[in-house]
Parts: sequence; structure tokens; C-alpha cells
Amino acid sequence: MKLIQTVKQDALACFEKIGLPSKRDEDWKYTDASRLAGLLEMSDANKKVDSNGLGMLDLDAYRIVFINGVWDEKQSNLPKGVAIQSLTAINDSKLFQISADAPLLNGFNALNAAKARDGAAICLADNSVLDKPLYILHVSNQNQIIRHGMMLGKHAQANIIEHFISVGEDKALSNASTAIILKAGAHLEHSRIQQEGKAQSHVARVEVKQLRDSSYTFHGVELGASLSRTDLVVSLSEQGASCDLNGLFVLGGRQHVDHHTRIDHIAPHCTSRELYRTILDDRSHAVFNGKVMVHKGAIKTDSKMSNGNVLLSKHAEIDTKPELEIYNDDVKCAHGATVGQLDDQQLFYLRSRGISEAAAQELLTFAFADEVLAAMSNQVVRSYVEKEAFAKLPHGDDLEGLLGE
Amino acid sequence: MLEIKDLHVSVDGKKILKGLNLTINAGEVHAIMGPNGAGKSTLSNVIAGRDGYEITSGSVTYKGDDLLAMSPEERAWAGVFLAFQYPVEIPGVNNTYLLKAGVNAKRKHQGLDELDAFDFMSVVKEKAKLVELDPSFLSRSVNEGFSGGEKKRNEIFQMAVLEPSLALLDETDSGLDIDALRIVAGGVNKLRSADRAIVMITHYQRLLDYIEPDFVHVLANGIILKTGDKSLALELEEHGYDWVKETL
Repeated sequence: MKLIQTVKQDALACFEKIGLPSKRDEDWKYTDASRLAGLLEMSDANKKVDSNGLGMLDLDAYRIVFINGVWDEKQSNLPKGVAIQSLTAINDSKLFQISADAPLLNGFNALNAAKARDGAAICLADNSVLDKPLYILHVSNQNQIIRHGMMLGKHAQANIIEHFISVGEDKALSNASTAIILKAGAHLEHSRIQQEGKAQSHVARVEVKQLRDSSYTFHGVELGASLSRTDLVVSLSEQGASCDLNGLFVLGGRQHVDHHTRIDHIAPHCTSRELYRTILDDRSHAVFNGKVMVHKGAIKTDSKMSNGNVLLSKHAEIDTKPELEIYNDDVKCAHGATVGQLDDQQLFYLRSRGISEAAAQELLTFAFADEVLAAMSNQVVRSYVEKEAFAKLPHGDDLEGLLGE
Repeated sequence: MLEIKDLHVSVDGKKILKGLNLTINAGEVHAIMGPNGAGKSTLSNVIAGRDGYEITSGSVTYKGDDLLAMSPEERAWAGVFLAFQYPVEIPGVNNTYLLKAGVNAKRKHQGLDELDAFDFMSVVKEKAKLVELDPSFLSRSVNEGFSGGEKKRNEIFQMAVLEPSLALLDETDSGLDIDALRIVAGGVNKLRSADRAIVMITHYQRLLDYIEPDFVHVLANGIILKTGDKSLALELEEHGYDWVKETL
């Protein structure tokens, strides 16, 4: 096995070779990576961060807290009998290995492998089930690089929530990576809730390898940051694997959020579902690119993708591109995207029942978004996200009263 | 309660209503019948306040106020209710939420306190029985995945909860089988009262076997051509709408 140092040097060499993505790169046509070029330096000293009162306080969960990308032992609370460690404590070069020809791999990802300071290495043994969610809170006020690895053994089950909050006023970049392996029959529900501050930018890569009959559910929630880009790469490598990818963006101001997803149907009898919805106000800009690749031999593939977008302002912009490449017969694939304002008939119906125009618009907008969250199994997480998403809508407070309970 | 005078309405430049007159008093049940394209749905949509109708002249006065100057929600607060011909599906909006928001908005407008959740639920459950609506529908999204008959039942259920002064039932009978029709009509009959007016818009006489109207109007060519009692509906059924035109 190669030494960790060697693998990291290889990653750095890869970064130096490919550099940051440019707008000429088809996958970065709408997202200007050059805006982040000045945010790559990592400072040696960690600034202090007061993380008191941040995050999902009433969630009954195991916790890991990262402050500026470094594991904070004092604030963490781990389940017994499960191998969860700081990345720094593990001598395994595989965790830092990258392959330059992996789908959507870019300079940020190479830099992440080369320079990651810390992360969580989570390993669930065969048949082990986490009895509570694992909540990973990241709080930062400077540039940070985080690298997580998750391996679920055969028939292991977990619900893992990654939450990103930043408190700094200075421009900074979070560069986060999560690599996941799901062995036969394993099930992972994985949320990423990006709620960083206005000055922050966020670049992430989530790479999932699924073995036989494993299932993966992803919830990507984008509420914060000025620029946020996530590449989500899922490989359905063995028969019977299934993934369910959900994305919700609620954006305002000049926020820019871009998700590129790539699902590879490599083995027969695999299922993929993808539902992405965006609500865009002001001058915000969202990019969604969902590519499904059905490889030769992946018969009985069942794939459905849908992307819906609501523009609340005429200055908001969405660039959406569902893509399907099929090298095989005997598959069932559907994909589509819609862009629009709210439905006039629905609005009139609500108003005719006595709901004011403004409240009806809010209610429909919220309902549109909330359908994506319906797949979240933990109600505390779902309510938290609903509430934070509400707060971003123009009359969110009224609406909360309207829905009550 | 409602007085329509010389109402002219166009849609996309095409004249639909051409000087319609109609007076409806509290406690009355009216049926408006007429052939396709006569302007029946235009009339109900104009009263409820839907966009897309150009009112070129005439007036609609409701309880002494100019109805046409009010927004759809203001009309609802004032007691106007439209049971839709095609109830809209609204995924993600819970049926009970919708009604609670509607009832409380109306109460707020009337200067009353909002109903608390417990009182509201007991009202809702009681009203659901009126149209034999399965309680599981209460927690579902508005009309989503409902059959045609269930949607119509849900409309009458909403009417029961919102307690309007003026209820317009736009082809509530269409798409109902005979059992569903009986249940829906039974619900409407229980909602008849001395301070409420009900206007049924329908193609067919069949509905009037179950809900007996005080007045029957024939709407054709954009005006009320003829007004009579329930026997007019039977004559229409027998002779068709052309007969009305010929007898004039």
C-alpha cells in the first residue's frame, strides 16, 4: 500500500495539472470557479469560533462537531461499538486516493485530497444499525477543507446528517468531500444541509459506490452561501442497488447554487430516482445538471428524474439540463424539467377559500418545496429545514402562523 | 342578496354574457340551466372573481356592496362560495390546513377570534359526516388523487365548513354516479337555510330531482331567456333548449 504522504502528493500533482475548472469546461459553464481562486490558502492557525446555540439543538442524535474543519472532541458524542474516528487517527491512504478520470472530478476535489486537515472516518460493521442519527455539524469562520469517509458493512443501516454553518464576515471557502461505500444490503440516508453565511462559498463532492441490493437516500438542501457547487456521483455497481436523490434550493439575493449529479447504472436491475426542486427569488441563479448513464449490460434499469423550478422574480435564473445516455435495451427511463411561476388555478382556488393572495403564493411555494422533504425520515430534521426554508421566503413568518400546529 | 343588472362579459374579445339580469334572495335555491357555451360557467366565475373575464358593462351587487370591486378572498370573507366544476389538485397543501386558514381568515375579517385547533377539528369532523367523507381525506393534500366523485364531495364538505351566505355549485353533478349524487345532494339539502342562497348550475334535470329549486332559469345566448319553477326543468328535459328559443 502506498504511503499517505505519497497519495497526497499525487493528489497535489493532479491539482497542479488540472487546475481550477474554467468556464470553457462544459460542466462549469454557468459557475465561475475563478471567483474562488483567492480562497484556496489554508491558514495554519485556527481562529476561535463560538458554536454555542448553533445547529439542530433538539435533535436526538450522536454528534460530531468540526470547528474550522477540525474535529472538536469536547463537543462530540459518539455511539459505542462503532468505529468512528478522526481522519487524522487513521493510517489508510485509500481515504485520500483520487482518480483524475472519475466523473466530474475537478481541481477542488484534488486539492481536498491533498490538503484535507480532518474529517470523519465512519465504519459500520456488517449488520450494525445506528439506533440514532449521526449529526455532523461544521461551523467555520475561515477557509476549511474537510474529508469524510463512510463505509457501511453488509446490511448495516444509518442516518447521517451533515450540516454546514459559517459565522464569519470575511470571504471564505468550505471545500468538503464525502466518499461512501455501501456494501451488500446496506442502507444509508444522507442529508447535506448547506446553510453557510453570505460571505461563504462552498464546494463539495459526494461520491457513492453501491454494492448489491444496497440503498442510498440523499437530501441536498441549499439555503446559504453566496456560491455553492456540489458534484454528486453515484455508482450502482451491483444488481439490485437503488438510489433516491432529493435536492431543494431556496435562494434569494445574488446566491448562486449549482448541483451536478451523475448516476451510473453499471449493473442490471438497479433503480434510481431523482427529484430536484428550486425556488428562486431576487437575482439568484441555480444550475441543475442531472446525468444518468446506463451502461452496456445494465438491463432492467429503472430510472426517473424530475426537476421543477419556480421563479419568484423575473431576474432569477435557472439553467437545467437533465441528460440521459443509454447503451442498452430493455430499460425504463424518464426524465424531465419544468420552469414556471405558480399555478394560477391553484392560486385562485386558495383565494376563493378566503386565503389572501400573498399567503396563497407562500403556501403554494412552500408546498412545492416541501414535497422534496417528504422523503426525510427524521421529523426533527425535516421541521428544522422547513422552518429555515420558510424564513427565506418573503412572507415566511405569516405562513408559519397560517400552518400553525 | 345578489342582484345582477345588465351584465356584459367578454373573454378574449368574445362576448359571452350579453345583458344578463338576475336577482337572488336569501333562503332561495336557484337552478341555472342551459346548453354548452351559453355562459353558465362564465357567470359563476365572474361572481367568484376569477381573472380573465372582461366586464364591459353592468353591475353585480352583493348584500349592498359592489361585488366586482372585491378580490376573490374578500368575496370569500363576505360569504361567497364557489364549488368548482373542476376542483384543483394542490399537492403538498393539506385539506385541513386549507380550511383552517380559510375559516380563520374569515373570522379575523369579521372581528372574531380564531378557532383553536381543537374546536376546529370537532367542527370539521361533524361536517365531514354530512357528505359521508372518509376522515382520512382530511389529512390528505387538497384533491390530490381524489376520484371525480370524491372531489365533488370535498367541495360540498368545504362549503359546509366555510358556511357561505351565497353558494354557487358549478356542475356539481357532473361526473357523479347515482350513489355519489344522492350523497352530495343530501349534503346540500342539509345546508339549505333561511339566510343562505344556493345557485346550482347544471346541464341536467337529474340533480333537481334531489335538490328541489325554487326557481329555474334558462341561460342561453348570454342572457336569462326564461324563468320558471321546477316544472320548467322537466319541460326542458323533454323538449330541449331549442324549444325555449322557439317559444319566445
